Amino acid sequence: MADLRPILLVEDNPKDIELTLAALAKCQLANEIVVVRDGADALDYLYLRNAHAARGPGDPAVVLLDLKLPKVDGLEVLERIKSDSERRQIPVVMLTSSREESDLVRSYELGVNAFVVKPVDFNAFFEAIQDLGMFWGVLNEPPPRIPNGR
Amino acid sequence: MSTVRIPPLDLDHCAQEPIRIPGGIQPHGALLVVDPKTLKILQASSNAAEIVGPGATAGNALDLASSPAFAADVRQWLESADATYLRTATIGDRHIQVLAHRAPQGAIVEFEEPPRTEGETIEALYPRIAHFMEEVQNLPDVSDVCAVAAREFRRITCFNRVLIYRFDPDWNGEVIAEDGDGVLPSYLGLRFPASDIPAQARELYRMNSLRIIPDANYQLVPLQPALSPVDGKPLDMSCAALRSVSPVHLEYMRNMGTLASMSVSILVDGRLWGLASCHNADPHRLNAQSRSVCDLLGKVLSHQISARDRTAYSARRIELKQVEGELLAHLATSESLQEGLRDSPRLWLALTDATGAAVVHDSQTFLVGETPPIERIADLTRRLQRHIEQDHFVTDSLERDWPEFRDIAPQASGLLAISISQIHASYILWFRAEVTRTVEWAGDPRKPVEPGTNRLHPRASFSIWREQVRGRSQPWGRAEIDGAHEFRNAMVNIVLRRAEERAELTGQLQRSNRELESFSYSVSHDLRAPFRHIVGYTQLLRDSETALSEKSQHYLDSIVEAAATAGQLVDDLLSFSHLGRTSLSFSSVDMNKLFQEVRRSLEPDYRDRQVEWQVSKLPPTWGDAALLRQALINLVSNALKYTRNRAPAIITIQGEEGAKETTYEVRDNGVGFDMTYVHKLFGVFQRLHRIEDFEGTGIGLALTKRIVERHGGWIKAHGVVDQGAAFSFVLPKRGEGSSNG
Repeated sequence: MADLRPILLVEDNPKDIELTLAALAKCQLANEIVVVRDGADALDYLYLRNAHAARGPGDPAVVLLDLKLPKVDGLEVLERIKSDSERRQIPVVMLTSSREESDLVRSYELGVNAFVVKPVDFNAFFEAIQDLGMFWGVLNEPPPRIPNGR
Repeated sequence: MSTVRIPPLDLDHCAQEPIRIPGGIQPHGALLVVDPKTLKILQASSNAAEIVGPGATAGNALDLASSPAFAADVRQWLESADATYLRTATIGDRHIQVLAHRAPQGAIVEFEEPPRTEGETIEALYPRIAHFMEEVQNLPDVSDVCAVAAREFRRITCFNRVLIYRFDPDWNGEVIAEDGDGVLPSYLGLRFPASDIPAQARELYRMNSLRIIPDANYQLVPLQPALSPVDGKPLDMSCAALRSVSPVHLEYMRNMGTLASMSVSILVDGRLWGLASCHNADPHRLNAQSRSVCDLLGKVLSHQISARDRTAYSARRIELKQVEGELLAHLATSESLQEGLRDSPRLWLALTDATGAAVVHDSQTFLVGETPPIERIADLTRRLQRHIEQDHFVTDSLERDWPEFRDIAPQASGLLAISISQIHASYILWFRAEVTRTVEWAGDPRKPVEPGTNRLHPRASFSIWREQVRGRSQPWGRAEIDGAHEFRNAMVNIVLRRAEERAELTGQLQRSNRELESFSYSVSHDLRAPFRHIVGYTQLLRDSETALSEKSQHYLDSIVEAAATAGQLVDDLLSFSHLGRTSLSFSSVDMNKLFQEVRRSLEPDYRDRQVEWQVSKLPPTWGDAALLRQALINLVSNALKYTRNRAPAIITIQGEEGAKETTYEVRDNGVGFDMTYVHKLFGVFQRLHRIEDFEGTGIGLALTKRIVERHGGWIKAHGVVDQGAAFSFVLPKRGEGSSNG
């Protein structure tokens, strides 16, 4: 399990971060959870730039992406990932409280892998997060990639 | 005397008489046509040698025919710019009055020996005019002025009777003033039909303001040669004073018992307003001075009438302007045009002195006063649309102009219509009721044809003949028509301004709608979060504190429940506001299929219950399938919810197709509701049951109503406490409804 890739959580709201982490912790994932607070930081992480230039190589197992983010918003991050042939394979889950239809449609157009409206009922939210975590972090095998030195 | 309706008159034969080229003159003078360059006589009346001198025949020079001095004087006039020539010439030892004017076929020179009885001299006559002007100065009424004028005309001319006629718009003449010595009958107040003075005669009256016939029994004096050597045609004598008149007219005079007549035209603003018509039982001549004074008197009278017309017009305009101002002030401050008009019916009618009015605007019609029924007004508007050339239409006899509207004559014999939009069929219509009145004609105006011949004869009897006139209203005054026009312009401005305001408002609404959209987005994203956090942390607290008392557990449960409800409220409110913004995507919707889907999706709600579905075949509809599905879900889930304690629950779904709409009904045998509160049923967050009994945020029916209304339909509910409820909604069929989407 040593090569379990991390889960990237892109979320600006500290309470949501805490609750999401609690939910992920509940399903006892072995994956490391990397938390970034805005879209720009998320892109830095994905492209090993700036603060994340020194991180170990490799893509995250899944990106949990909030829709509304400071600096670069979630849809823009999604667009960048999905339009980059190198990173298109990274699973992205839009994680948001918005039910605006236009957001939904746009996310799907951009090739989002899943879209979860954060429910108010936290039990349901826990379940949703847990399902996602289990699915993307543990069960889902990433597509085969050319080894990059490991 | 009789009281009958006159059939339409057709006396245009008379109008075809060649009155400009009668071929001869009256015998009380002589006429020469002279070449204006050579002064050679081109044509001469056969009595010219007798009256002017022995050489006055065609082919001779004017100086030989008259006197060298006279000929020189005429030459001087012909070289001047003066239109006419009027002198008393001395030819030989005689004084002869000479009147000359230029015509296309030569200079027409007319000679007249003064009557044996000399009238008043010009010096004596002019003070009369001055006196007349002074006397009428303070008379406000045209008929009073005319009465004084009639008296003056008679004093100057010594005719037995003087009538002042006024023409109506149809050219019938009405005698509005009279002065007489009793020899001839009084015609005051009587009407003479338009055919008495045919169109070409009226035109001559307009050109030539004074005509005299001293003896209706005269013998025509022919011209020699008969045709003008200039163009080979008969001489046009339009402006000749001695012109012989139509034999029909002479017969008319004899029938009327008048052997001499003179008429002076009264022109107002270049239009023939009326005539001063002087008659004598016996032949009667008038010297040239008296005729000039009469001519002058006629002109003074014309000016007096025109001044009074203007004054009356201005006074009326000022009066109407006040009404207009009041009405416009009203309109400008009222919500809509129609409302403004409806609220001030008095002003509305006063504006044109109408008995009824209608506004047709934005495909709505508003009525004031006595009007034809609304569907006839619609017909009238359609007719106006086809035929209104200018922006208005005026008549005082709608049935005469458009006979198909005879049925509405009682309310709308008079119509004054103005268009208030270039694009739409928007009109303001004023109506005047039919005024049945009796007109007294001077004899039966239908000119009889002499038995056995086709020749027209004027009527022989001038005794009063009464006619009942129907299908007419009081005629519209010029002030009222002009006032209506000004009002129209003001209205158009108001309409335009309103349109601008509406556009401005639409812009504001669009802006605020966008703001609302971004607001609801924030609400959606941000307001839900804290509720989620409350629930989340409570959950975490419960997990970490395993030893909580039952009471503390209850508190935590309540916190979770309250936060969850608040979150649900936010969600519902969002979907409600969302519905106002999204555009509908219409298609044909299979309601049977839709209902099956709805029932399937609600299956978890009634899985363990006993529900009896009574579903008939539902007709299809035209609408937004997703929204209709939502509406149906709300109604069906309500039916399931409120039948919770029924076993079995009976839910009936049925539909019915009408001509223009389709009706669907969802009925249950549940707890029902009290009809007292039916008006609250569809309000946002309105509940008729306690939350402990039936859960929900109270948005479902409001949402359903909104969906139905956005389809152009409506919804209604019926309930009986403890016996069930029925909701039916009606959707317009394709093309029948209007969608606001």
